[in-house]
Amino acid sequence: MRGYLGQIRAIVWKDLLLEFRTRERIAAMAAFAVLAAVLFNYAIDKSLVSPQNIAAGLIWMTIVFGGLLGIGRTFNLEAQDGAMQGVLMSPAPKDAVFLGKTIANFVLLYVVAILVVGVFMLFFGLDLGTSPLALAGALALGALGFVALGTLFSAVSSGTHMGETLLPILVFPLLVPMVIYGTTATGRLLGGRPVAEVAGNLRMLGAFALVAIFAGAGLFRFVVED
Amino acid sequence: METAIEVAAPVATAAPTVLEASGLVREYGTVVAVDGIDLSLGEGEFLTIFGPNGAGKTSLLRVLAGGVRPSEGVVRVRGKELDFGEVDWRRHIGVLSHQGFLYGHLTVEENLRFFGSLFELRDLKTLIPERLEQVGLTDRRHFLVRQLSHGMKQRLSLARALLHDPDLVLLDEPYTGLDPSAASVLRNVLSTLRDGRRTVLMVTHNLSEGLKLATRVAIQVRGKFAFEAQRSDVSPDTFEHLYHEVVEGWK
Repeated sequence: MRGYLGQIRAIVWKDLLLEFRTRERIAAMAAFAVLAAVLFNYAIDKSLVSPQNIAAGLIWMTIVFGGLLGIGRTFNLEAQDGAMQGVLMSPAPKDAVFLGKTIANFVLLYVVAILVVGVFMLFFGLDLGTSPLALAGALALGALGFVALGTLFSAVSSGTHMGETLLPILVFPLLVPMVIYGTTATGRLLGGRPVAEVAGNLRMLGAFALVAIFAGAGLFRFVVED
Repeated sequence: METAIEVAAPVATAAPTVLEASGLVREYGTVVAVDGIDLSLGEGEFLTIFGPNGAGKTSLLRVLAGGVRPSEGVVRVRGKELDFGEVDWRRHIGVLSHQGFLYGHLTVEENLRFFGSLFELRDLKTLIPERLEQVGLTDRRHFLVRQLSHGMKQRLSLARALLHDPDLVLLDEPYTGLDPSAASVLRNVLSTLRDGRRTVLMVTHNLSEGLKLATRVAIQVRGKFAFEAQRSDVSPDTFEHLYHEVVEGWK
């Protein structure tokens, strides 16, 4: 078990270090998030629609679209010089590789999710409501399920000619539960409603994340093995 | 010379068998890259496989390394059949591909530390400097891999492949793109693999380099071994002629 955790840690460390050095994915995701928020700010007539009522949906859509920009490139650096082959020929179990990459993607996406919320607070005049911790939890659970599916399908699409075009087609239908429960929880928490009112949504987000992680860990080897 | 263009029977080995393959086939769609190869490699042997482009040498190596599943046939390492669900047998194998399996944005040392962690190696603090010393890259350990020359990358790839001290080393075109000086450095490093303990299988186009270290040679054409012999039974002076005769005969 210790060795298994060490292998996961090595993959997380390597992915985050590569991202820190190249800033390829985080820069694209962050730029998209900020620009999307700016455009939404001008696209919505705030005299007709209350920003409070639509902010949660816009936040999650921005996270999903922006996140996919980065997660879709999960295996790009791996493809250079056949590095992924080296990883797959090592004794690291494929599920450990998947979990390591999912955790690294989660760290990146969570940073972007916090940035998205911050930018929307600025442009839409939102406040964090009465339970910022619960809001952070909802974002974390939603992001976890999203990156688990995104990492798995990024591996699928990276081996195809259609690549990044294929990824949203594969992933978006599966994200519907996450979007429904994430948007509901976020909207209510930003509206200052009590945590008890969103407990069910948080549980569903948690269940979604668990299913996505277990499914991803179980299926990853069939995706990457030739 | 006529017997050279017939399929040679697998050369028997007296040493304990490290790598064994029987009836190995690998197909990519309608293309048969590896076509029914039988192979047995004993401890301490160094087999060099020559062959023209498209002969299926790299495909054979990838199957033997566990990089791809064979379409048919069985591969055994130290008597144990390769099972893709298991991972422990991978600890016995080191692979040097014509791709480096390296991360350009990590340093030399970081690459080795990363792969060492995947192999669950302890004492990387002493192991990494030893391997870097072995391949002559000690003074480059803090360089990013993308800053290295092709020859240095090849040596680093070799250090990565040998980091976990594998019994079986698989080398795919290690001399590709190297100038004579870099090739000489690599040859010196590869010659240390002939320590009697390690089994090496090398795939190459380079006839002279391939013969220098081999204890056995084979020529692969169209997915099959068209020729196989002990190195001592082959003359370096006539090998090029033999090679062309075998390849042309099979084409």
